[in-house]
Parts: sequence; structure tokens; C-alpha cells
Amino acid sequence: MQAGTQARKYRLQGAGLDLALPYLMLAPGLTIVLGVLVYPLWDGLRASAKAYRYGSPVADVGLQNYLRLWSDAQFLNSLWVTVKFVALSVSFEAVLGFALALFCLHEFRGIRLLRTVLIIPMVVTPVVVAIVFRLIYASDAGMLTALSEAMGGGAVQILGNPLNAFIGLVVLDVWEWTPLMFLILLAGLQSLPHEPFEAARVDGAGAWRVFADLTFPMMRPVLAVAIVLRTIDAFGTFDQVFVLTRGGPGEATRLISIYGYDTAFKFQQTGYAAALFVTIGLVVLALAFSAIRLLRRVDAS
Amino acid sequence: MARILTTVFVLAVVLLPIYWLVSTSLKSNREITQEGTLYPHVPTLDNYVRLFTEKQFGSYLTNSLVVTFFSVAIALAVGAMGAYAIARFRLPFAAERKVGLFLLTLRIIPPVVILIPVYLLMLSLGLLDSWLGLIATYTAFNVTFCVWMMESFFREIPVDLEEAAMVDGDSRFGAFRRITLPLAAPGLAATAIFAVLVTFNEFLFALALTATPRAMTMPRGTATLIGRIDTDWASMSAAGVIGALPIVFFALLVQRHLVRGLTMGAVK
Repeated sequence: MQAGTQARKYRLQGAGLDLALPYLMLAPGLTIVLGVLVYPLWDGLRASAKAYRYGSPVADVGLQNYLRLWSDAQFLNSLWVTVKFVALSVSFEAVLGFALALFCLHEFRGIRLLRTVLIIPMVVTPVVVAIVFRLIYASDAGMLTALSEAMGGGAVQILGNPLNAFIGLVVLDVWEWTPLMFLILLAGLQSLPHEPFEAARVDGAGAWRVFADLTFPMMRPVLAVAIVLRTIDAFGTFDQVFVLTRGGPGEATRLISIYGYDTAFKFQQTGYAAALFVTIGLVVLALAFSAIRLLRRVDAS
Repeated sequence: MARILTTVFVLAVVLLPIYWLVSTSLKSNREITQEGTLYPHVPTLDNYVRLFTEKQFGSYLTNSLVVTFFSVAIALAVGAMGAYAIARFRLPFAAERKVGLFLLTLRIIPPVVILIPVYLLMLSLGLLDSWLGLIATYTAFNVTFCVWMMESFFREIPVDLEEAAMVDGDSRFGAFRRITLPLAAPGLAATAIFAVLVTFNEFLFALALTATPRAMTMPRGTATLIGRIDTDWASMSAAGVIGALPIVFFALLVQRHLVRGLTMGAVK
């Protein structure tokens, strides 16, 4: 079978100009990617080994920028804030998304409306999502303050308080991305085979038993993929924080991407920022590849 | 009953923030900060008018549409060819698989990682604050996505149809163009929709690469309203509505394709 398709593929390639065809078809895309993505990646790697002054390289410093990261309290803090943010947001999104997907698995009236409305948060421009939440949290113009005042309370402080601002950011992310989790998990649930569930029903298994023994184990691969995708994505979160808090108050919501951006464009430490970004890239790649390996093992067993 | 309550609760959680944005955009700044009303008592469209007369949102919108259109169109054409080559041909040293894996790896890396060098590249090419700089950047990101997505669509289309076309005298490329591409149209649509969404909403590179209304996109232009000491909530909320409206409208219009594109990779 394998050999058969292989042979057919070769035959399909034909002769003459057709032999060059795959290369000709790949060339334009690869050219763009090499020019605009790969060259900058390499250039960033080069910049990360240099010291900059006023935006121009002044000295080669080898791995010094990389070493400096690990004694930079601000970097370590932003790393910690990012890890907290990603872990909290993604867990809430996974649990809520899964619950919502189970809830929507059986058709009922109003479900189409629900599914349509749930698309909105993840397609709205992230900058606008941040504006929406600033309008909710603001102590003067905010929805929370307006509600609190309507009920006789006072102004609500969210973005001025470190803990509240951080929670506010997590809430924003959960609002924005739970729908994606929901859609992926719903598609996963809908693709499960029916037979085991019918057998369980015949056996009179309760809802919880069905979930624990059938649904959850069968959904594990999809759930894992959804979590990995969201985690990688959440690691690069920038827009929402930039607009909502700019990393503040203090460093309470300063994610690693914001710190890197400020290091590069506000403090003009180009080489140091490049080292920081290379480090993030390596961390995310390591994360992704170990996740892929783990998933393969789960698949195999 | 529990079902209705849950549905209503979810709808409220999703829609209330949106309601507040729209409602704020219809109030005057005075009403927003001093009266704290729950709905606009004196509705006004002034905030919207101001965006276009005083704040150049017309340019931002034009820039966004031009940049999104060209970067998605180019990436789609170029990406579909690349994806086809990877899906159908077997090259020496399994080169086509390696290229596919390489593009996927590039896709995993967060874009922020190459922000600085891309900025330096555009600076040296004199492409800062220009359509071309943004189009080049977005096209590259979209190509990695299009190739990855289209490849699986092409694999689903049987080879027999192309073979038949070639027996009838079509060239290899002719068969691709006349037979495979039309069959992959739903896939192309799903890919294009997703790319449009991501490109139109992109902020980070727009922030670093543009500086004036000459090239600023909608998200970038909207962000110019933020960060002053005295926040102009009225303009900001109107800008939010204007910025999100085209893309939400577009997304609801093509909902079916969108959901397919979003969930495809994960469930397979």
C-alpha cells in the first residue's frame, strides 16, 4: 500500500518542466518567509550577543546578555507574572470551556444563538477587548462603579490595585478565550463514537460515571491539544496588557512580552531585549516540542 | 429550567461588556464620568463624528483594509502553491516534509520574538510607517499559516482527479489550477477568513512599525487614544465600536467556515 502510493506519486511528477514544479511552487512562499521571518530570527540572534547604545551596536558581549537576564529582578518578576497569568487563565478556560461544551452537546432551543454569540469575544480586536474591560474596571466611568453606585455603594478600584489588576487581566483573558476552548472541545465531543455511550446507558450508568469513565478519557487528547495551543498563545499575550494596564500598577501585570517591548523601545537596550526574546522563543519551542512528544506517547498507549 | 438559566447567564456574561462599550460610545464625556448612568440618557453620535473629522479614523480604516487585503491575498496564492507541493510531491531527502515541519516550527514561535529584528530590517529598508512594510510582515506570517492549513485540505482531495486531467492533456500545474484548487475552495475560504481575522486585529507589529496616520491600522490608531492623563472615554469607546464592528460583522457572516478553521487543527 505504502509502496504503491509512493510509486504513484513518482509517476505523477512526470518529466521535463514538471520535475521542477514542486520547487517552483515552494519558492515564492519560502522566499518571503526566509526574508521576513528567518533572516530577522538570525539577525535577532546576532543582536542578542551585542551591547547597544542609542540604538546602534557598540560591542560584542557574547552570552553576557543572556546571563544578565537571570540576575535581573524585573525579568524574573515578569517571568513569574507570565507563568501565573498563563496557568490561571488557561485552567479556567479549559474547565469553563469543557463544562460549556458538555452543556451544549445536546441540542436545545437557543443553542444556535448561544454558539453565535460565543464567537464574538474571540474575534473582537484584542485592543478593543482591552478597551471594553477598561470601561468595565475604570473607577470613574466603569460599569462596576456604575453598578455599585446604582446599588448605593462607592467607586470600585480595580486597575489601581496590584492584585485586583492582575485578577482583572485574567478575567479579561478568560472572557476572550473560553469560547475558543469551548468550540474546540465541542467539536471534539461531537466526533466521539456513540456506541460506548449507548452501552453505558443500557447498563444504567449515572451521568458522573459516564463522564469519568468514558467522556473524559476519550477527550483527553483533544483537551491536551487545546490546552497546549492556548498556553503557547497566552505566553505571547501583549496587546491586551498594553492597553489595559501597560504592565502596572508597579509590575503587577507586566508580562514578559511587555517587559521585552519596554526594554527594546523605551529603554533602547536592543541587544538585551533581543536576548530576552530569544529566550522566550526557546522556552515556548521547548514547551511545544515536549507537549508534542507527550501527546504522541498518550496516543500510542 | 437550569438550561435556560445557564443560557441566559452565559449570554449576559458575553454581551454585557459589549453593551457597556456601545452604550458608553453614545454618551457625552460629561454623562460618562459625572453622572454614571446605566444607559445613555441623552444619546449622541458626536463621538463617532469626531473620530472621522478630528482623529483620522478614515485613514486608519483605509490602511487596515489595504494591508489586510494584500497580505492575505498574496499569502493565500503563494501558500496554496507551497501547500500543494508539500501535500503531493515526494522530494529527495523528504525535503517537502522538512519544509512543512520548518514552517510549523516558525508558526509556534511567538511573533514578539522577532519584533526587534523586523523593526531593524524595515528601518534599514526605509519601510517603517508604510503599507509595504506591514504587508511584507503580515504576508510572511500568513504564509506559514496558509501552508499549514491548506496542506491538510489538499491531502483530502483524491489524486485520481488530477491524474485524469493529466491523461486528458493538462500539465501538472494546469491540473492543480483547474481541478484541485476549485475543489479546495472551502478550505481556501476557511484559511482566508482566519487570516483576515488575525491580520485585521494585529497590533504589536503595527505598534512598532507605524507612527503616523499614513500607515497606522485600526487597532494601532485606536491605541493612540489611550494613555493620556485625562482619558477621553467617549472617543475611546466609539473607536472600540468602529474598530470591532467590521470584523465582528465579517465573522458572523462567515461563521460556519470560521468555526471549521478554528477547530480543525486540534480535533484531527
